Amino acid sequence: MGRGRVRAEPLELILYQSDAGTARGQASVVCFPESIDDLSFAIRAANRHCVSFVARGSGTGLAGGATPVANSLVIVMTRMNRILEVDPVGRVAWVEPGVLNLDLTRSVRHLGLHYAPDPSSQQACTIGGNVGTNAGGPHCLSAGVTSAHVLAADVVLGNGDIVRLGGLEPDAIGYDLRGCFVGSEGTMGIAGSIAVRLTPDPPETRTLLADFTSVDAAAETVSGIIAEGIVPAALEMMDAPITRLVEEFVGAGYPLDAEAVLLIEVTGLIGGVDAEVDAIRRVALERGARQVKVAITEQDRMLLWKGRKSAFGAIAKVAPDYYLHDIVVPRTRLVEVLKRVYEIADEQNLLVMNVFHAGDGNLHPLFVFDGSEPGIWERVYAAGDGIIQACLDAGGVLSGEHGIGLEKRDYMSLAYSAEDLDAQARLRDAFDPDGFANPEKILPTGSRCGEMKRAPEGTWV
Amino acid sequence: MTAFAELAEQIGNATAVEIMGAGTQRGIGGAVDASKPIVEVRAPTGIVSLDPADMTVRVLAGTPVGVLSAALAEVGQECPLDPENSAATVGGVLACGCSGIRRIRYGPIRDRVLEVRFITGGGRLVRGGGPTVKNVSGYDFPRLMVGSHGTLGMLVEVVLKTQPIANKSSWYTSELAPDLLRTSIYRPACIAWNGKMTYVLLEGHEIDVLSQASELSLEPAQPPPHPIGEHRGRISIDPTRIGSLAKSLGDIKVPWLAEIGVGTMHVATNNAAELHDARLVAHGEGGWLLREAGAPLLDPFGAVPSNREVMGRIRDAFDPLGKLNPGRLPFARFTP
Amino acid sequence: MTILGLNPDELAGCVGCGLCLPHCPTYRVTGLESASPRGRINAMRAVEGGAPISSEFTAILEACIQCRGCETACPSSVQYGHMAETAMVAIATRRPITRRVFDRILYRHVLPKHYVLLLGTWALVVAQRLHIVPKRFGVPPISTSSLRRSLSSDAFPTVFLYTGCVMDAWQRDVHRAAMKVMRAMGASVGLPGHGGSCCGALHVHAGRRSDAQRLAVAVVASMPGEIPVVVDSAGCGAALKDYGRLLGTPEAIAFSARVRDFTEWVVETGLPKMLSSNKTVVVQDPCHLRHVQHAETSVRTALSASYRLLETDDDALCCGAGGIYSITHPEIARQVRDRKVAAIRAAAGSDEVTVASANPGCAMFLSAAGLDVRHPAELLAAVIEEDNE
Repeated sequence: MGRGRVRAEPLELILYQSDAGTARGQASVVCFPESIDDLSFAIRAANRHCVSFVARGSGTGLAGGATPVANSLVIVMTRMNRILEVDPVGRVAWVEPGVLNLDLTRSVRHLGLHYAPDPSSQQACTIGGNVGTNAGGPHCLSAGVTSAHVLAADVVLGNGDIVRLGGLEPDAIGYDLRGCFVGSEGTMGIAGSIAVRLTPDPPETRTLLADFTSVDAAAETVSGIIAEGIVPAALEMMDAPITRLVEEFVGAGYPLDAEAVLLIEVTGLIGGVDAEVDAIRRVALERGARQVKVAITEQDRMLLWKGRKSAFGAIAKVAPDYYLHDIVVPRTRLVEVLKRVYEIADEQNLLVMNVFHAGDGNLHPLFVFDGSEPGIWERVYAAGDGIIQACLDAGGVLSGEHGIGLEKRDYMSLAYSAEDLDAQARLRDAFDPDGFANPEKILPTGSRCGEMKRAPEGTWV
Repeated sequence: MTAFAELAEQIGNATAVEIMGAGTQRGIGGAVDASKPIVEVRAPTGIVSLDPADMTVRVLAGTPVGVLSAALAEVGQECPLDPENSAATVGGVLACGCSGIRRIRYGPIRDRVLEVRFITGGGRLVRGGGPTVKNVSGYDFPRLMVGSHGTLGMLVEVVLKTQPIANKSSWYTSELAPDLLRTSIYRPACIAWNGKMTYVLLEGHEIDVLSQASELSLEPAQPPPHPIGEHRGRISIDPTRIGSLAKSLGDIKVPWLAEIGVGTMHVATNNAAELHDARLVAHGEGGWLLREAGAPLLDPFGAVPSNREVMGRIRDAFDPLGKLNPGRLPFARFTP
Repeated sequence: MTILGLNPDELAGCVGCGLCLPHCPTYRVTGLESASPRGRINAMRAVEGGAPISSEFTAILEACIQCRGCETACPSSVQYGHMAETAMVAIATRRPITRRVFDRILYRHVLPKHYVLLLGTWALVVAQRLHIVPKRFGVPPISTSSLRRSLSSDAFPTVFLYTGCVMDAWQRDVHRAAMKVMRAMGASVGLPGHGGSCCGALHVHAGRRSDAQRLAVAVVASMPGEIPVVVDSAGCGAALKDYGRLLGTPEAIAFSARVRDFTEWVVETGLPKMLSSNKTVVVQDPCHLRHVQHAETSVRTALSASYRLLETDDDALCCGAGGIYSITHPEIARQVRDRKVAAIRAAAGSDEVTVASANPGCAMFLSAAGLDVRHPAELLAAVIEEDNE
């Protein structure tokens, strides 16, 4: 690789020791490939030196997926940021992994198209990172998460080989390796180019803001809307503290005295949109909404969304440290789990804010605190354990969109049996037999049953 | 759970098993190797739980799709697996991986599966995914299992994502070119084309369906007839190349029905050699043909994926002795 | 006192979410964490935690254009610019001796001494005629006729026009245009008295805070009274508006409150009568107008009365000029400008485009890339109805 594309200055290495989450690691070297061949070269070099590697996009992940462990080589994908090809007829774009999510949508806006997954960090996060975590976002409620929008990827495996997974044809021959790769957090290799589906812009869009004097009423409205047979394009909830914070930043007209607000978007053709807006308004008012406002102008809509998507970044105004959770529960259990989250925060005497994808049942309890206070981290971790337990008790899952990474790795055995985890380890090994690709992520150590890693499975019966 | 445990023991003890559904798609994926003593296994049947307010359903894999659809319809919902024969089992449809005709709007069936439980070749019961509509905890077993033709494990239970049944659903025909229709209609449920006529399925609010139909002067119609013949295949191709493939298929006189915007083309003929010809034509356009029925001498897939090595390792990982549906997916082969 | 003199609370204000990254011009073109606001803040944290003030650290902070686009983007309102300026003070005192001598000449003896700058400018004019000025410096062709005629102040001024150092030497015609507009609006325009020729913005960015404070005191003294101080350079305007914080004195706070960007003053005073022009103009927001002065609306209000305005779809990212940045970091600056030029051309839908820019540095740098750049004052002067004069 060329000059300036491999770096190991002491400060530089410090800057790559973590993503936007709390887990810190240590990088040995950082490199910046500019093509898939560079990428393959870097991975082969890591193999030769028996060094593991980890891919990094913009470093907006929250689960430590891009945190280097075991003195990994950090492969930064930001310079592979070209949009290679846009086919407006086939509605497909080939992009390099370092393209920013929102940049892709911007570049196809004039064609009446957009890239549907819209994580809150979409202005900053990369498509490659989105693929790694199978990222979601408010509009994934109706549009589906990243996996539904990735058609193919040219991937460099852990040994440096380049393979194509998936294809532009609807079904690829054999196993859905594309489906396995999306959401594998860089443990099955690194994508060098990705084919994504582009979605036509809806003809009509309405953004509703419903405000409530109780969190329960808002949560019941969410269940009520789904029970009504409506799947809005997005259905988001914010509680009072976070609403006040974001309103201070964007001035979008969020009510400052509400206990909770719902941000609901309905898209489609006019008949369906009008009917759904009416039904949602009725459901919300029946459950005690003070009012349901419909944003009229595009600018008002954008401001509301800007507020929602800035929520996490705005918390430093309250306290310097945070812990953001990401759990999903069946939508019918939302009310009780949310109640439990507030109870847990009370038990640990912590400030919790809730801003989340209510329509999916995807909660993001956000603890905001000052880490220098003695004993505070213990309370934060205890609260985290409590929340995860409450989620699993309600039949939920460990992560909806942030991924497992390092953060939740050790909770995996609460969610899955030893055999489930062993099967996961086997799948990972099939992609990366030597284990150089982002080691120590996702699966807790000891997931492989004893020393059976390579032994034929059937022999034990 | 005892039913699962019994099955697990049965598979663990067998030399070879064929996983049976309703037998509606047995021609897909290759014949099971008859040289071994085959034990037939069937997944249990029934709906485990269905909560309409969750818009998910937990169902045993042996349940016929028709039974599932009827149960969902009672609460105004559906799961668009859409097999041609509704006697097909849920597990069978998923294992074969063939998506239904409404894919352009509702996505491929692999996007419908939230959680799977399956029994590996070693007789272990494994769970992957989770019951919620969003989940990134660990590797995506649900998508891995869809289209794996029972070679990695026997599906016994799945959780599927459902949706409300549209308030109006109507087929139309049009004289307009299929691509023009595709860009003129917002989220059609299907656009099918057989070279003579374009068929459109509109779903949604009644006002929207009727107004789109009248704006584009669509004529109410029956659903499009699939090409008829004893030897049937399904071509997968980059949807932007349907036009040129259609022309080539016309040259060899094999009837077809294309799903516009998806890239699936259904072909059928009464002459097995013609199915082979259709496959060659598909290869010429960068696609491939899955044999769905008939033509027993024809290779089930007709091509070997470039990443077969990874596939082989995955198969080894889940079924190292090659006992699950031996002979299926021949290229992802068990390596002793 | 910490090593860099940073306020620990201010430093803790960044949660590292990364939402600033796409709004940082140097991150955009390099993809380096060390060239991003989050990376620079983490580097400052590392130094406060014991890492040395190394050449690597210095290079990381110097590679910042100080556009402060990150501040507008930050949901937690982290005061990055303030932290960077403070850290630069620590860096400036640790530079090698040759650099300190060079800096001393530039910041003490050229910029603040207007006759030296004007002399230098004449030398530059000669050098330009001899074609020995590297093109990448982005120096515009300087009009000798303009340089020969000095500006004249009105008696009993009702408003001051702040003229500055480089701008008065290189772009005096912009001042003429601004005065024409202001006079057409009925104002009597005064010019700063002795000692008010340099605002000190470049000094602040270079970490020479005490030099900047001395200049600020002189600028405040050069425009006494209560009348508004109008500035037609976005960079100088931002500096003058920050004197309150820089000096912390009641006089400075009162002075800063009088400062208006040229278009702010025009809009507040009431738009003059203007002819309509069929011309299309792409608005480029100088960073110190948008991210520091937050005066981007008034430019649009003032111009949209006569011109058809177009916007760039690049989050108003910096153009790369950044005071003397385009000379100290020519390669990054050029790449940043390439993005900007592409965004401007995309907005215009053609290569033939007029750009409105309210800052001399941006205007010169973009002109050097072949764009037709006009100051809003020039655009207004061109359409003003003079019949009432």
